[in-house]
Amino acid sequence: MKILIIEDEKTLSDAIVEYLDGEGHLCEVVYNFEESIEKIELYEYDCMVVDINLPDGSGLDLIRLVKKKSIAVGIIIVSARNSLDNRIEGLEIGADHYLTKPFHLAELNAHLKSIHRRISFNGNNELVLNEIKLIPDEHRAFVLDQELVLTKKEYELLLFFISNKNKIITKAGLAEHLWGDHMDAADSYDFIYTHIKNLRRELLKKGCKDYIKTIYGLGYKFDLS
Amino acid sequence: MRLLTKTTLNLLSISLFIYLFGVIAFYYSLRLQVDGKVNTEMEKRKNSIVRQMEEAHSSVSQPPGRSEMVLIKPVDKTGSQDHYADTLIYSKEEHRYQLYRQLAFTETVNDQSFEVRIFKSLEETDSLIVSIIMTMTILVILLILTLLIVNRYSSRMVWSAFYDTIEKINRYDLNAHEDFALQDSDVKEFSELNRVLHAMTERIKNDYLNLKEYTENASHEIQTPLAIINSKLELLLQSGEMNEKQYKALADAYEASIRLSKYNSTLILLAKIENKQFPESKMVSPEAILKGLLENLEDLIRSKKIEVVKQIDPEVRLMMNPYLAEMLIVNLVKNAVRHNVKGGRLLVEVTSTCIRISNTGSGVSADENLLFKRFYKSTTSPESLGLGLAIVQKICALYGFEIAYQFREQMHCMTVVYNKNAGTDLNRSIS
Repeated sequence: MKILIIEDEKTLSDAIVEYLDGEGHLCEVVYNFEESIEKIELYEYDCMVVDINLPDGSGLDLIRLVKKKSIAVGIIIVSARNSLDNRIEGLEIGADHYLTKPFHLAELNAHLKSIHRRISFNGNNELVLNEIKLIPDEHRAFVLDQELVLTKKEYELLLFFISNKNKIITKAGLAEHLWGDHMDAADSYDFIYTHIKNLRRELLKKGCKDYIKTIYGLGYKFDLS
Repeated sequence: MRLLTKTTLNLLSISLFIYLFGVIAFYYSLRLQVDGKVNTEMEKRKNSIVRQMEEAHSSVSQPPGRSEMVLIKPVDKTGSQDHYADTLIYSKEEHRYQLYRQLAFTETVNDQSFEVRIFKSLEETDSLIVSIIMTMTILVILLILTLLIVNRYSSRMVWSAFYDTIEKINRYDLNAHEDFALQDSDVKEFSELNRVLHAMTERIKNDYLNLKEYTENASHEIQTPLAIINSKLELLLQSGEMNEKQYKALADAYEASIRLSKYNSTLILLAKIENKQFPESKMVSPEAILKGLLENLEDLIRSKKIEVVKQIDPEVRLMMNPYLAEMLIVNLVKNAVRHNVKGGRLLVEVTSTCIRISNTGSGVSADENLLFKRFYKSTTSPESLGLGLAIVQKICALYGFEIAYQFREQMHCMTVVYNKNAGTDLNRSIS
């Protein structure tokens, strides 16, 4: 997937590129409004990661431009502004997701994956990883063609793990993905543990290998190696 | 009391007071003058009587009118002074006493002393005085009334600029972005007041805008470095070349930076609520918010084996900013879940007057004074931010809701009353 990252903070865009590296994406980075217009007009991208506050313009205007030209591209906004207005405005003009800084790279990656699935398979897709098969549209999961009995959160957890396979996912990142702003991270760690325990048990019961590794109380890793 | 009423009342009481004294003084001075006049007339009469007595020796002509009487009787003693006095004489025709002025003197004619008394009726002059006073009273009252009305009207004209200013200050909202235009006045003091007020509001507005800008900038400026720290730490985690000790250190740093960003965004939220930067409101349904929220927390609630009891009136709508409405309810429910005990109860009530979230908890009542303080944390969950209830309180203050905490029957109850008029009884027992 070709991704254009528009973020004026070089260190942050570098970190994004590095994290997405090895996921099979082709990432290009621009640091301002002018450059991004050039890139958009010259090349085609599958997805754009847009910062709203650019030194020479607004990311929102960029999105409006893209939509006006009917360029088919997935859009994720990353912004330091956490106000509801911005969020609503961003989503209204056609962005797919809105992430507030600071965000977890795993979260960004999961959103990119879901956009990728939507583009590649037009939505009617299956996600297959070794013996695991997910049907995201129906929120169903299978291991060796046996359906897993999972709660909604446990399903989301599995999808998030698969989106960020072979990467360490922190507990805070998991908590935010599962409960958003509704939970203080510290409160939910026990619950994450419970969910992981249930998910792992269900996977093992259906004959799946034990992919979920605990990393020193720091987080978890869906390890395929 | 309004200034206008006050000045009017002052004017009225003082003028009535002065008028009362004026009338009394006027009456007596009038009486004095009338009496002097009567006395002079009686003096003249006396002289004519003496003359007549000397000429006609004992025969005196009848008094000229019914307003005057003359009594002459012989006495032994001689040469007393003229003596004036007021006296009442019963009138047979009128069947009442009437006021007379009397002059008594003794006159010696041919060695025989006579006491002569001349009576002159004061009835007519008295009624004249009364009618004069009456006319005066009516005139003065009319004068005072006219003055009062004119004064009131002109004061109202003059003070209108002042009342307009007060009204505008009262309605002034820093967030409204509207011009603080005050009504012009030709009164120097008022135009001066308006000028000073205008300068003051301009200054406050500028300070406020600077502060607001600073808060927003601070938010942005802090969040971006935090985003960099977090992402770099997350990348470092993926490198996979660390031992357990290094992982542990990294995990702590990551945890701290996440907490810092949460603090930052929550404090900015509090400042925004205080600055009333959530102006747009619409009808929100507590039921819808609660439904989504309880669904989201479903697993959490189940894993704590909490029994959820819902008594929600689905018709209830609140005129609020939707984001703040959600923050309010989320924080209350979040708290009730966090401080709940395993196998406890979570009671969610929504009525037309209040929202009440109750939870089973440890046996001790929390200190209500500390509860809503920022960064107050109970001993049971030291990792929490301690800002949830501060947010709840700020939102309640913004919308004029009342928030109350109670500890009853092992339940911690948080009640948000949004319809005070309906008279909610906080002590209503939990069913």
